[in-house]
Amino acid sequence: MSRTRQLIDALREELGGAAPMPPVVPLARVPAPPARVFPRRHEGSRYARESAEHTTALLGIGHVGTRYATDVVLQFQAELAVAHAAVATELPDDWAEQNGLLGLHSRVRDHREFLLRPDLGRRLDAASLERLKAGARHGVDVQPILADGLSAVACMQSGIALLEAFTQACLARGLSVGTPVVARYARVWLEDEIGATVGAKVAAILLGERPGLGTGDGLSAYLVHAPRIGNTDGDRNMMSNIHARGTPPELAGERLALLARAMIDQKKSGVELDLSQLAHELGDAARRTHRAPQVRVRLVEAEP
Amino acid sequence: MRLAVTIRSIVHRFETLREVLAKANPPKSGDDLAGVSARSAVERVAARAVLANVTLRQLRENPVVPYELDELTRMVEHTLDETAFAAVSELTVGQFREWLLEHETDGMKIRSVSAGLTPEMAAAVCKLMSNLDLMTVAAKCHVVVRANTTLGLPGRMSSRVQPNHPTDDVEGILYSMREGLAYGCGDAVIGVNPATDSAASTAEILSAIDAVLKKNGVPTQHCVLSHVTVQMKALDLGCPMDLMFQSLSGTELGNKAFGISLALMDEAWDKMKQRGSARGPNCMYFETGQGSALSSAAHHGADQVTLEARCYGFARRYQPFLVNTVIGFIGPEYLEDGPQITRAGLEDHFMGKLLGLPMGCDACFTYHARMGQDELESLKVLLGAAGCSYLMALPVGDDIMLNYQSTSYHDIPSVRRLLGKRPTPEFDAWMVERGIWDYERDRPGPAFGDAEAIQP
Repeated sequence: MSRTRQLIDALREELGGAAPMPPVVPLARVPAPPARVFPRRHEGSRYARESAEHTTALLGIGHVGTRYATDVVLQFQAELAVAHAAVATELPDDWAEQNGLLGLHSRVRDHREFLLRPDLGRRLDAASLERLKAGARHGVDVQPILADGLSAVACMQSGIALLEAFTQACLARGLSVGTPVVARYARVWLEDEIGATVGAKVAAILLGERPGLGTGDGLSAYLVHAPRIGNTDGDRNMMSNIHARGTPPELAGERLALLARAMIDQKKSGVELDLSQLAHELGDAARRTHRAPQVRVRLVEAEP
Repeated sequence: MRLAVTIRSIVHRFETLREVLAKANPPKSGDDLAGVSARSAVERVAARAVLANVTLRQLRENPVVPYELDELTRMVEHTLDETAFAAVSELTVGQFREWLLEHETDGMKIRSVSAGLTPEMAAAVCKLMSNLDLMTVAAKCHVVVRANTTLGLPGRMSSRVQPNHPTDDVEGILYSMREGLAYGCGDAVIGVNPATDSAASTAEILSAIDAVLKKNGVPTQHCVLSHVTVQMKALDLGCPMDLMFQSLSGTELGNKAFGISLALMDEAWDKMKQRGSARGPNCMYFETGQGSALSSAAHHGADQVTLEARCYGFARRYQPFLVNTVIGFIGPEYLEDGPQITRAGLEDHFMGKLLGLPMGCDACFTYHARMGQDELESLKVLLGAAGCSYLMALPVGDDIMLNYQSTSYHDIPSVRRLLGKRPTPEFDAWMVERGIWDYERDRPGPAFGDAEAIQP
């Protein structure tokens, strides 16, 4: 036997021979670890309670080794599932008809294309363009557009309420309102083509916003004066977080109508629009980047 | 220059080097959106085969955005280190890849040529590399920088605490920050993305963070990531500011959309060198991310990997303390799914390190991208193994203002322990003194995760 072979054999023997691992040591019954839970507003650790007064960030959740407690993992996964479900949900084909709205489609053909081709979501398909020309009122002050955006769940949940509130608030301010439409696979800039086609002074698209963890029911609204293809984000004013826990649809409708009125009076929108006189009445709608806090709730509860 | 190759008796021809670079990319939804990607897997290999025979000199002579049209192209050309360039200028991209992978080519040798590389060269060699190639080379490159802490030493992995708040509630920001510190996070920077882009709120947040860091003797840096012009105004208000931040794009047009230019950044850097509050020589912080140029139609027909490299060409002018690619932030129209986001993270980290930058990565996805939480956790380990200088850290990885999923307070100590990494030496000493980590027993110390132990 070679010297190397002898050394290898000796090493194997030294490392336990036929039993390379030490014998298993029997363990006494493992006690249940202390409860470490995903905090509710008034439960959990003191730090969780105190911080919840100031932030919805998940704090004071403790740790197991360096990882999360089981309850935290489950709540987190449930929040993730809610967000993913909101993105994956699609508007049913007959939803427009059922709600008495003129149904329009962007040039997008399926959901994957909707996510990957924002350019196609900004233009109407040929049939929709014809339908809009033939079926919608022209020359109005405000053209409201309801749309799925990144959450059809939000559109279906509170879209009609927001559309109604916005329409009534516009009419109350003496603005004429166009035929209500709902657009499928729509991006924000689709309002340019729709608004330009009907010759509206202001186009307003109300659409499901990009979901956050545990949320998927928020709507955003983007308004633009003199809608035309080629407008950019700087030409628009927006309001986000429209839902029961943020700005409720009724209040949002009022503020958006005020915004539309200001655009028509000043004949402009976007960065150039002066909202200093209206800031108080407008609330959230006067800001451009603001997002109100979400309230965090437990999603997974064991059956009693 | 003849840009053609034959595969199974079919000749593949390309018009420009820009087209070759674009088609050599692995699949990315953003390159499809821009209409510049290869039409088939075979064409992709053909482009790589052509690229492998292009010399680094030819790449220098053919920037993807013409010299006449773009101030970044001009700046790179005028400031390139000729001695460093001469050392590798006649190598083909294929030979350069092999030189980088050779055992004899250590980090010091790579550093010697770094200043002679244009962004297009870093992007080109990246396209010939597999994920493990990218990690192997990046792990050799140690880029060490210094502010209040020393970042990028071998065996270290740092993190940015990102205690964002949807309404900039300072109390809320501080609660989140204290918890991050208690998990041993924040040795790269405490960096807040503000909801309101105003000088007053930037100054208010910085002053509040500064007070808590001083009170607890935490050796790190702070930064509020408002627009650079807003931060300059905040400096005039007299607030502390350890690092100055700006998002960068890879073309003059893209930077215009961000409201910046070379001249403005030069001015900002000068001001920061005089007025910044950190002790070290490095005082700038930049963020980038594949897709930013296309989103403002400023891509000039180039692919998003090459444009990303050009951001690094811009960044290195300012000897930054931190550069961070926010990989999956924009959305699936640029990086569709887990494999694309993973690949982009490893590419960006590699290209940045090769160009001499202290690269960190925001390993992240938005909720409309097709990437699972498990895939994201895997990416954090890959980045750590590749020697990534720092990752982000948020409560359960959830950014409650920007609505996306990133790295968590719990992930940082987990990845460090798996890979045997430690934070910056200054912060490490603080952590041990505070009982946050027990290195003797290689486990969390008694104060680990105890946010109340950090004084408000």
